[in-house]
Amino acid sequence: MQLTIITDLNKCVGCKSCQVSCKEHNTSGAFGTVPDHDPYTDPDGMWWNRIVGMESGEYPNTNVLYLPKACMHCYDAPCVPVCPTGASYKREDNGVVLVDYDSCIGCQLCMWACPYGVREFDEQQGVVKKCTMCIDRIEDESLPEIERQPACVQSCPTHARTFGDLEDPDSEVAKLVAQRQGFTLLPELGARPAVHYLPRRQVPVILDESEVLRIMEERY
Amino acid sequence: MRPTGPLLLITVLQGVSGGLVLSVAALWWLMPADRWLLPMGLWGAFVIASVGGVASLFHMHKPKAGRFILRRLKTSWLSREALTTGIYVPVLAILVIVPHLLLVAPFWYGIGSVIASGLALIAMYVTAMLYATIPAMRSWHTPLTVVSMMWVGLVAGTALTEARIAIAIGGHPGGPLHLALLGGTVILAGIKWLQYRYFSEARQAIHASTGTGMPAAPYRLIDSGTTKLPYRTQTQVWPSLEPGRRAVLYMVMGLSLILVPFVLEVLPMGPRAIEWASAAGIMVCGAFIERWIFFADVTHSSKIWFGDELQRPSSVSSNRVSPDFARRLKQVGMHRHDGL
Ligand code: SF4
Ligand code: SF4
Ligand code: SF4
Repeated sequence: MQLTIITDLNKCVGCKSCQVSCKEHNTSGAFGTVPDHDPYTDPDGMWWNRIVGMESGEYPNTNVLYLPKACMHCYDAPCVPVCPTGASYKREDNGVVLVDYDSCIGCQLCMWACPYGVREFDEQQGVVKKCTMCIDRIEDESLPEIERQPACVQSCPTHARTFGDLEDPDSEVAKLVAQRQGFTLLPELGARPAVHYLPRRQVPVILDESEVLRIMEERY
Repeated sequence: MRPTGPLLLITVLQGVSGGLVLSVAALWWLMPADRWLLPMGLWGAFVIASVGGVASLFHMHKPKAGRFILRRLKTSWLSREALTTGIYVPVLAILVIVPHLLLVAPFWYGIGSVIASGLALIAMYVTAMLYATIPAMRSWHTPLTVVSMMWVGLVAGTALTEARIAIAIGGHPGGPLHLALLGGTVILAGIKWLQYRYFSEARQAIHASTGTGMPAAPYRLIDSGTTKLPYRTQTQVWPSLEPGRRAVLYMVMGLSLILVPFVLEVLPMGPRAIEWASAAGIMVCGAFIERWIFFADVTHSSKIWFGDELQRPSSVSSNRVSPDFARRLKQVGMHRHDGL
């Protein structure tokens, strides 16, 4: 079993509700806290899920793309073998990569080893923290079934994120990856992320020069 | 990434200590006249390595969990570093302290120098491998990292040994170790040049426009995800060095680590001792500058999602047309109005 989250980049509108709900849940959750010691004057606190905004393409054929970026729960997670204390580990039963704060010495070697820059250092506690796939929610049997999914998945207003087992061919995530050419980030670094993205389907370019000139004339 | 004091101290001092041990051990076996240097050299190496070792404890932000540090010897170079440096320093301590307490056989130092040299080489190699085996650190992921880290330590340690001889005899140390030091400094210049090129290539290969394997490149970052300089919680990256500042730093490193010590060591005049002592001192300072750059100028693969790279103006968000497009507008008889 390998739990994962698939994000459809056609649906993500960059609203950051997954980023905020991740922080909201994990600041109060069992795996918290996601510290924010001076939130009003220093928003550069800790986020386990950051939405990167990018403008892509060349003018005039450009568009904006949002990339939610949290732990990829890699199959060959490079953050795990480098950890000297075994604090970083990958669960064999569901493939989730976690950090045991009690045995973490805060050396940050795992942060250097993670290709995606999704681990964050908590200066106050002296340990490294990161996305837990909301393990405290998905394994909490006191929650109703519908609630047993990551906070970021549940809060997405456009349903861009889907949660499930990548190794179950009948799961929705496995089907999405197979049917929609799901891809991973920086595959050349060999971490084999479990988290996949569904590529944007480009709207065919129907803009030619006369069209641009017409619009410019109308506007100016 | 952010260069921190403990990282600089452990990596530089461990290397210098190793260089010192290897050079005095070489003298013991090759130049019997200089055997008096070995006990002193071992003492020096022990003190230097101990300072580095103590400094490394401050790199642990939660020392209480330090008791688990040997758990991952099978896979973690940091576990191995704790083990190898943890053996090297106590062995040095035994080698230098026991002769003050007991009468030791004449071969004590001879055998001891071989054991200490072996342990020093292993510890230096393991420390260097810790950095060279991280694929995400694009500038470090090369055997050059191992060669460079070990060579800096060997050359700087040898310079200290030569300075001690020069002070003792009040003149030019000469001999094969002197030639080795001069040759080693020249080779060091070559290694640093190659490493400079590798760092530059890594830097140029990692930027937002290379994207993430997605179509519709190039990309321009407009929001790196609620983070800002100096990326306090994301210590794998650090604000990119300004090109001017980088050039000055590399120049200072070249002067202090290589050129000035080399010139001082070959100058055929003056009271030799002071020149040699200065050469060694300047070289050790150069080793610290070299290591600072090693950390500060490294490129991490996640840098593609951080916005402090060279800015490429966006013709969309600035609402400005390209000169070429403006020319074509003119050609078809349209004119630029205010705001265009
Ligand atoms: S994304 Fe980074 S932190 Fe997460 S499993 Fe992969 S290497 Fe580890
Ligand atoms: S910071 Fe903690 S989790 Fe990361 S490598 Fe060091 S001990 Fe392991
Ligand atoms: S799975 Fe949970 S911890 Fe991970 S990004 Fe989503 S909300 Fe945050």
